[in-house]
Amino acid sequence: MKTVNPKKLDSLKPEKVIDLRQAICPHPLNVIRDTLRELEENDVLLAVSDHEPTALENAPRFCERRGYPFRTVEQEGVWNIFIQKVEEKEARLKVENVSKSFSARDGKVSALNDINLTIRDGEFVTIVGSSGCGKSTLLNLIAGLEKPTSGQILANGKRVEGPGSDRVVVFQEGALFPWLTVTENVEFGLKLRKVAPKIRKELARDYLTLVGIKENFHNSCVHELSGGMKQRVALARALVMEPAILLMDEPFAALDIQTRESLQDELQRIWVESHKTIIFVTHNVEEAVILGDRVLVFTKNPGRIKSEHEIEIERPRKPGHPEVFLYTKWITDEIRDDGDAVDEVQEAAG
Amino acid sequence: MKRKIILLTVFYLLLIAIWQGVAALKIWPPYLFPSPLGVFDSFVAGFQDNSFTVGILASMKRVLIGYFLSVVGGVLIGLAIGRVKVLDETVGTIVLGFQALPSICWLPIALLWFGLSESAIILVVVLGSLFAVTIGVDSGVKNVPPIYLRAARTMGAHGLDLYTKVIIPAAMPSIISGLKQGWSFAWRALMAGELLYVSIGLGHLLTMGRELNDISQIIAVMIIIIIIGIAVDRLIFKKLEDRIRERWGLLNA
Repeated sequence: MKTVNPKKLDSLKPEKVIDLRQAICPHPLNVIRDTLRELEENDVLLAVSDHEPTALENAPRFCERRGYPFRTVEQEGVWNIFIQKVEEKEARLKVENVSKSFSARDGKVSALNDINLTIRDGEFVTIVGSSGCGKSTLLNLIAGLEKPTSGQILANGKRVEGPGSDRVVVFQEGALFPWLTVTENVEFGLKLRKVAPKIRKELARDYLTLVGIKENFHNSCVHELSGGMKQRVALARALVMEPAILLMDEPFAALDIQTRESLQDELQRIWVESHKTIIFVTHNVEEAVILGDRVLVFTKNPGRIKSEHEIEIERPRKPGHPEVFLYTKWITDEIRDDGDAVDEVQEAAG
Repeated sequence: MKRKIILLTVFYLLLIAIWQGVAALKIWPPYLFPSPLGVFDSFVAGFQDNSFTVGILASMKRVLIGYFLSVVGGVLIGLAIGRVKVLDETVGTIVLGFQALPSICWLPIALLWFGLSESAIILVVVLGSLFAVTIGVDSGVKNVPPIYLRAARTMGAHGLDLYTKVIIPAAMPSIISGLKQGWSFAWRALMAGELLYVSIGLGHLLTMGRELNDISQIIAVMIIIIIIGIAVDRLIFKKLEDRIRERWGLLNA
């Protein structure tokens, strides 16, 4: 990381000024992010805002997560936010010009078209979009289960050539192995790593407890668990591998509302404690807003990233929270304007 | 459970009583229609002079060797054609074809190749059960849900681990039913072989009974063949199946 020149920020002489007082939509943070992208290293941006939560909570959180030095000065109900652009935290994952097409009966179908994406260490990114927009395909490419048609993916600085336990996936159906008990499922990956049985047992117990599985279920068979418990075990099985990146492919989609909400709570708690890098795919916009630091909206034909939204709402976030509601409505409207798969968005928003 | 035991006891006692009654009427001569008591005497005599014991041991040895070979072969071929498409499209058709061939049809070839020897009869047993095992393994492997493999691969499984830790365990219910069917085919093939090709064994005891006009012995040996067939099925395969069904949650609640 380059050294910061704090004097430059102190002089309060910005290279660029943006006025957020007119910018109600799109969200101020997205404007800040996009403007910073165009600036040079060490440049200072001045954002003028009359919205207190943006100035005092959301913008500071935004800057802290990226390591940007900032300073806020108030003048008669208007806040001047000075932000200095520095080199961002090291990327945990880089998706570079990735395209993927499948051969179908009537020629080639393009699932993903020229995707570029950088995910920082410890970031929680959610990907939302209607079915067929390629969001799960992207997750499979990152996991190494499929190969991109062109472009490359760098995870932890290394090019992804195949699946690896630094990028574990939690699937929608959980994919627990029915021939193993709950504990044996969690131990599966550790066994492959040749971890000693005693340590394996302890780790499995710890992680099952972490995801909220009670001791008396640790030796149960998989079919004895409810849908929510299966997903908890699947999460423990992934977390126990200590992956640098946790990939989640609509893991809560098949659960009832109460179970889904309690798992969303749990996942936020675990993320706050562990600060894992998580990429979470869902078709439910509200879920994407509740969980993600950043929501990527995918659109189909061909699959590409339509927009990115910075979500700086205090955690733990719950459904029905006014800000969650606003973001959800905003993103849902945006997808609806897209004109595709309206039914699905309604289902996701409802 | 208790009800079932009482029901079965009463049923079989009644059946034996009717059998004894019909035999006592002497409609047919005893050398064509034996009485249960005569069959029981044959049992006792057969075990006393050790001829039954020797026959059982000889037959069991053959079937165990033959079955073992066909399990090894069947699992390997089944895994190969289950996982490799080109083998499935080629070798797979041969397997299906041979499965339609009654195993005893292999005896003439076996006798030409190996002469009047143990090897000939074991070959018949192997070819009788090999394809049933192969088909069980093959269909089990083909029906492994791909999501299990994907999950295992993201946890770092590759190569042989995928077979031993995922594919085989996931295919186990179907493999067990293949093994079970393979066993019953092996047992049938052995009996057919022993009947046609004379050497010591249960089939040979049946032939002896015919040659000596001893119908009681024939019935006694038939009962032994049934008992061994059922015993192996119940004591080994049923237990294995139940354990898997319980673990997987396949038992009807």
